[in-house]
Amino acid sequence: MKNNKLKNGLAALISTTLVAAFAVVVPSVAQASDLTCSTVNKVETCKGTDDNGAKFEIRMPAKFNGTLFVYSHGIRYGVALPANPAAGTPAVPIDYSPEVAPTQEVASALLAQGFALAGSGVEAQGWNLEESVYAAIRVLDIAQNKYEKVNKIVTWGNSLGGLASQALAEQYPDLVDAAAPICIAESAQAEITMAGDFLWGMKVLFNPNIKGTGYSTGTAGYIEMLGDLGQVRATLTEIKTAIGVNPLKPTWPTTSTVPAALKAIPVRSAVMLLGLVSGISTSSNTFDGVAGPAGASETTFGAALSPALAVLENGADAAGLAVLANYDMELRAGGVVYDNSTTNFSTRLGTAGTTYAAALSGLDSARGILGYLALMPRVKADGAAVGRLNSMYQLQGKITVPTVVISSTGDHITPPGAAQYLINQYNASVTKKSAKAGSLAVIWNKPPNEYTKFDKNGSYITPTVPTNGVGHCKYTTAQVVTVAKIAATAAKTGKLPSTTAIKTAIKKDENLFVNPNFKPDLLKFRQ
Amino acid sequence: MNKSIRMKRLSIVSAVVATGAMLLSMLPAQAAQTTGVTSSEIKLGISSPTSGSAGLVYGKVPGAMKAYFDYINANGGVYGRKIKLVAKNDKYTVKGAAASTFDLVYKDNVFALTGALGTATHQAGYKAASLAAENVPDLFVNSGWSGFNDKTAYPTTFMVLPTYAMEAKVMAKVIKDNFPGQATFIVAQNDEFGDDARAGFGAAGHKFTREFFYPQGGMDLATGKTILSAISAVPGKPVVVLFGTGDATVAMLKAAEELKLTKKFTWLAGSVGADANTLLALKVEPETIDGVLTASFMPDAKDSTDTYVKQFMAINTKYNKGVVFDNYVLAAMNSAMLTVQSLRAAGKNLTRDGVIKAIETKGSSFASAGLVPLGYSSTSRIGYNGYWVSQINAKGEGKPFGGKLVIYTTDSGTGAVSVSNFVRPTMPKNGIPTNS
Repeated sequence: MKNNKLKNGLAALISTTLVAAFAVVVPSVAQASDLTCSTVNKVETCKGTDDNGAKFEIRMPAKFNGTLFVYSHGIRYGVALPANPAAGTPAVPIDYSPEVAPTQEVASALLAQGFALAGSGVEAQGWNLEESVYAAIRVLDIAQNKYEKVNKIVTWGNSLGGLASQALAEQYPDLVDAAAPICIAESAQAEITMAGDFLWGMKVLFNPNIKGTGYSTGTAGYIEMLGDLGQVRATLTEIKTAIGVNPLKPTWPTTSTVPAALKAIPVRSAVMLLGLVSGISTSSNTFDGVAGPAGASETTFGAALSPALAVLENGADAAGLAVLANYDMELRAGGVVYDNSTTNFSTRLGTAGTTYAAALSGLDSARGILGYLALMPRVKADGAAVGRLNSMYQLQGKITVPTVVISSTGDHITPPGAAQYLINQYNASVTKKSAKAGSLAVIWNKPPNEYTKFDKNGSYITPTVPTNGVGHCKYTTAQVVTVAKIAATAAKTGKLPSTTAIKTAIKKDENLFVNPNFKPDLLKFRQ
Repeated sequence: MNKSIRMKRLSIVSAVVATGAMLLSMLPAQAAQTTGVTSSEIKLGISSPTSGSAGLVYGKVPGAMKAYFDYINANGGVYGRKIKLVAKNDKYTVKGAAASTFDLVYKDNVFALTGALGTATHQAGYKAASLAAENVPDLFVNSGWSGFNDKTAYPTTFMVLPTYAMEAKVMAKVIKDNFPGQATFIVAQNDEFGDDARAGFGAAGHKFTREFFYPQGGMDLATGKTILSAISAVPGKPVVVLFGTGDATVAMLKAAEELKLTKKFTWLAGSVGADANTLLALKVEPETIDGVLTASFMPDAKDSTDTYVKQFMAINTKYNKGVVFDNYVLAAMNSAMLTVQSLRAAGKNLTRDGVIKAIETKGSSFASAGLVPLGYSSTSRIGYNGYWVSQINAKGEGKPFGGKLVIYTTDSGTGAVSVSNFVRPTMPKNGIPTNS
């Protein structure tokens, strides 16, 4: 019985929690408190707050098929952000609301097929991996207690929630029957290294006013963090404007203090270099890295401009994430967690230097910038803080319940290398016999080869609707439902469908594929 | 369910799954050997640019290869199988080549790639489509980057071009032997192309008076004029080495025209960017190209007395209608002929391993239009191993510099540049290979 398994799992969980560096209060048996239920369109929705103060929601269709999906949401801001009239952005409060699926469309589709859904808002935001795992366990328990007809459970989630669902399945396999991490995130250190490298590069190349790390405690630190968000936004806007004025030879930001010799290099190539050494994707929402306006300039745009513009577009997200994540993680861990004190950025560039020589304005330009980066003062993390950060569960790949993963090759926040890391860990665990062979299937979502559009004047058009597979965790409803159904089938049978069956399930979707020989690069932290 | 029972059942399931997985892991490997091959067809793929500025220069390559394959198909195919060439336009971009090559391997299920064009682009394509893991033969890559000769990194790749380092070494010898005392300059692409050239000139002990490097796509008329203005006052008749793609050669020569400096310099253009027809088509004046020296490993495309050229011209006329025959068409048809010989040499029971082995063991003796020897072996994946030096006239014809054909061979390292007495194999009757 699941409840018995849950109790056993919670006992283990408690002992784990007692020694964990992060204080997470877990009850010995989760309690459903103040459940408020209502039924609309033959779906009963129950809402409540668990004993840790996390809001949760459960949706139970009238024609329940016995399988419950427990969803973990992705990362949310751990701090409230004030409105910024200059940037036209509204105030963003901390969001604690529960989610039961990646989108409402997905939720509706699964409910219509008889699946029940549950999810927690989690009591803390930011990099809340541990809180997220335990919140999912609590809502799982509450749902089981309320609905005895639940006999199969799938843990799933998006991004950081995907990592949480995998962490849950690895640590407490007896609590669930299958797992389905979507756009799974890498570890905190791997992710902050990617985003932090880009932010540090922005600071030393473009704007030394960016603080980046080592935020003060209290209100002063909060103000520093907000200041950094403003500096990042202003700097990237200035670069984007410069590229718009002169794409071939855009000037550097006025805040840059690099030597004049470096400023002779088009600033877009410096952005490109930062992207390559950080591991930022060279395709983005607007730029596919291939297409150019029709005519002779097509080659130059596709080869030299588009990848750099993609990095710039993705870099805005990466740098913003780095500011917020550094601030959040430093608060959580009690010190600086980003570290590049021993990073060799030339090694980081690797063969990408020759591959992207055109976008880098030549190898000598890249070498010049790398030489400058090598001379710049580095950031040394606080060892104790890193230790506390890494005391959070680290994926082992100890997969014993059927697990199906979907990851986009063009995801710039959780790159496909995050899923590849899970594959590597899993393969190692199978070799060590700590994981079951044949328990992991990875479905890749590859965006269309070309999607950048141009107007009649040859100017690129930023799409209002993201292209499938481009951007962070962008999937169609059909894709997510397909993954969910594969996981549900596996939960019922106790094993993954065959590769042939999975290929059949995805064959109508041109973007999806499975192939064990496809091995995307790991995040730079792992290389 | 009792946990112990559950575990027991899982172990049985695991054993079954593991056994199944072993069988499955064997089956696809065997199937992959003949992916893209049926009793009546061999499916090949090519990723190259056919649009944009790169397409203006290299756009004829896939069409010319297809024309030769069509000719072979009309004459019985390869042991009765017809060759189908799937061509993708990668726009000469890294992402484009990665996507195109991926699609060729995983969506079109080609048996092998042939004639992929470009270094950075093919590096990306090779990785994206996991050509090594998939064991996809990667035939006659149009790049001179010496890295493709690394059998560990590119175990299925065979280059067709000599390395850029070889070319640079031959150029250095030509300069030393023919233009002593003159200032020398190099205008080169600032990537692995130029880096290989630097290595080659360095290995030959040649030092330039001044070097100019530009990023791919970064050479234009204004840049060309800036460079030429900077060296126009140098006394004598300096040698200017152009080590770049065709569009960059055009930009430099047109810059010289505008500055009226075309005859001020001895122009020595690399093989990649010196097709006379292309230069003329892109509006370089005939008198400008008159006298330009270029290294080459193929006969001149205008030399209709050459048996291979004559045959390929005839094929082009019938199967590639409306396309002007030039060095790119010649080179592409030659690579197609090498491809057919590779498929034949692998035997009737065609496999991917068989093709790779066949080139390693028999590739150096394949018939080809090249005037220098092929160097394939179990340890070398470099195609042609040398150059001859041609001088272009105003008609766009390339004639042996000094009036006599001299063939140079060398390696990519510090080996000497030697004069060779190589005589190429006779062309198969009607240009249709019958090797085995």
